Amino acid sequence: MRLALGRFDALAERAVVGRSFYRAIAWPLLAVVLALGLTALLILFAGKNPLLAYAALVRGAVGSWDRVGVGLNKATPYVLTGVGVALCFRARVINIGGEGQIALGGLAATWIALMFPQAPPVVLPLLALMAGALAGAGWAALAAGIRLRRGVHEVLVTLLLNFVGVLIVSEALQGTLGEPGSGFPQSPLLPGAAWLPHLLPGSDLHVGILIAVMVVVAGHALLWRTPFGFRLRVLGASVPAAAYAGISEPRTVLSVMSLAGALAGLAGGVEVLGVHYRLIDGFSHGFGFNAVAIALLGALNPIAVLPAGLFFGFLETGALAMQRAVGVPTPLVSVIQGLTMIFILSAMGLSARRPKA
Amino acid sequence: MDAAAELLAAALRIATPLLFAALGGILSERAGVFAVGLEGMMLTGAFAGVIATHALGNAGLGLVASAVGGAFLAAIVAIATVRFCADQMVTGLAVNILALGLTSFLLRGLFGRGEAPIIRVTPLTPVPIPVLGDIPILGPLLFRQPALTYVGLALVVAMFVLLHRTRAGLTLRAVGENPTAAFAGGADPIRVRTLAVLCGGALAGIGGAVLSLQQVGTFTDGMTNGRGYLALAAIIVGRWSPGGALVGCLLFGATDALQLRIQGLRLPVSSYVIQMLPYVVSLAVLAGLGRGARLPAAIGIPFIRDRR
Repeated sequence: MRLALGRFDALAERAVVGRSFYRAIAWPLLAVVLALGLTALLILFAGKNPLLAYAALVRGAVGSWDRVGVGLNKATPYVLTGVGVALCFRARVINIGGEGQIALGGLAATWIALMFPQAPPVVLPLLALMAGALAGAGWAALAAGIRLRRGVHEVLVTLLLNFVGVLIVSEALQGTLGEPGSGFPQSPLLPGAAWLPHLLPGSDLHVGILIAVMVVVAGHALLWRTPFGFRLRVLGASVPAAAYAGISEPRTVLSVMSLAGALAGLAGGVEVLGVHYRLIDGFSHGFGFNAVAIALLGALNPIAVLPAGLFFGFLETGALAMQRAVGVPTPLVSVIQGLTMIFILSAMGLSARRPKA
Repeated sequence: MDAAAELLAAALRIATPLLFAALGGILSERAGVFAVGLEGMMLTGAFAGVIATHALGNAGLGLVASAVGGAFLAAIVAIATVRFCADQMVTGLAVNILALGLTSFLLRGLFGRGEAPIIRVTPLTPVPIPVLGDIPILGPLLFRQPALTYVGLALVVAMFVLLHRTRAGLTLRAVGENPTAAFAGGADPIRVRTLAVLCGGALAGIGGAVLSLQQVGTFTDGMTNGRGYLALAAIIVGRWSPGGALVGCLLFGATDALQLRIQGLRLPVSSYVIQMLPYVVSLAVLAGLGRGARLPAAIGIPFIRDRR
């Protein structure tokens, strides 16, 4: 089964070769501008002034160092998960299981943090994050296994496993991990030693964004500078060519899914240890699909996933401020995200249609 | 016996929204376009149905609006995937995100002055069938369903006839299997696919209205809550045939109905474990079918004239 997605490689590939870098970023930028333009019409339709709304959004997103910190925190799990999704999509593995992988990553990180409250500060978060990554990788590997063993399309498997993963978290919070008597499905507060350290005193900004930047750089190197990255790209370009080159499809699919799952699980751990300091029911809601949007907006380039993730992160924090200031409801963010995705996908499809030069 | 009949009736009730969506999805997928956007189409339909019923005071017009709403979202899918050859899976995901945002935004922006209002409409009431409804035990449960449930069952037959006994159905399937050959045979794959996606979206939109108008009586944010994805799984479980999809939907309806009842039985498992049932069952069925689930051959592949 050939999917149109892989064929836009042409577009991204040319960008990395360097000659037409601008062409590669032109599409995503155009898509964002179009989406913002269309949503401006919606805001008008709802009887509000779009310029005032967007101004409030920008102020709320980057108006103060505090807000910037919140936005960076928001973007961190998106970037982490987005890099994994981008690598998967490169190999034409449509992993949309981010949400379940994030949920279980958060669960595992919480469990470790609550199990070893006496552990020293640096060791405990590291252990917890590792557990989160492992849990996410395991959940993704399960999906890859079902796809490879039984031939069920990974979109369906990862999608269905999302529901199950989120319910496992709910179940854990109702049982052993829940905080008795809190009246809300959440875990007890994690020991302070497990909290991710803040980057700036007095700001909410935690070290997660640094982890995300490291993952972005590593993902870039992996994709463009290693044999594994080469295998991903060959598999994405042509399955028969990959087979001819001796590349094992099952092994590559399993590896890239597990890697993406590990990154999503890590994102879940970072969200729990850095933002909430406890596991909260439904904390991962929508993260997985956002990661797909971000991977696309980043043209499946790990480096470009960083600005794409930041854009979405700031969009969300800004939208909250916009709702408070001018009364434009926050679901607008999903409209912008959906439209951006549709425009980029259409551009990718169109550019793949043209005969290659 | 009584409990079993009641369970079956509940399964049928719960399965009805899924059934409409699954039948719409079959139209789209048999023509060669993945129907990942069913979730968003259902949600849009549920929203449009409630809003129109509330504004116009007529559930019939509400149903029309829900079909238009589903078709509107389907039009976006059709333009992006059929015209512009965008990836069908991810485009479906994108319109789902769009629908979630759009319905929640419009609900607040147009009616609630920033807050989410609760718009109540009277749910459609059961329509008993005269003779059959009087059969003891089974009658009240199977033949006293709301009107749309009967329509859904009739549509299963209609869809089978359309796909397998009419020229239009043959063309549609040909486009889904081999659009180039269908094109050579005089069909226009672009048009066929666009129409199939649009009609599928209208059906899925009505499925959403079944949920909002017949079952709940109001619209809430994201109220379809994954039902579109279950409908997608039901299509595959049913191997792209209307009757098979009905079985798949009933299967999911039954697990859901069972879950609601087990919760009342005070079993030692929590409600969350039981809520996993529909998803685990569909995974198990899909995995059990394995590669036996043969997709329409040209699904996911855009048709481009002048190529090949």
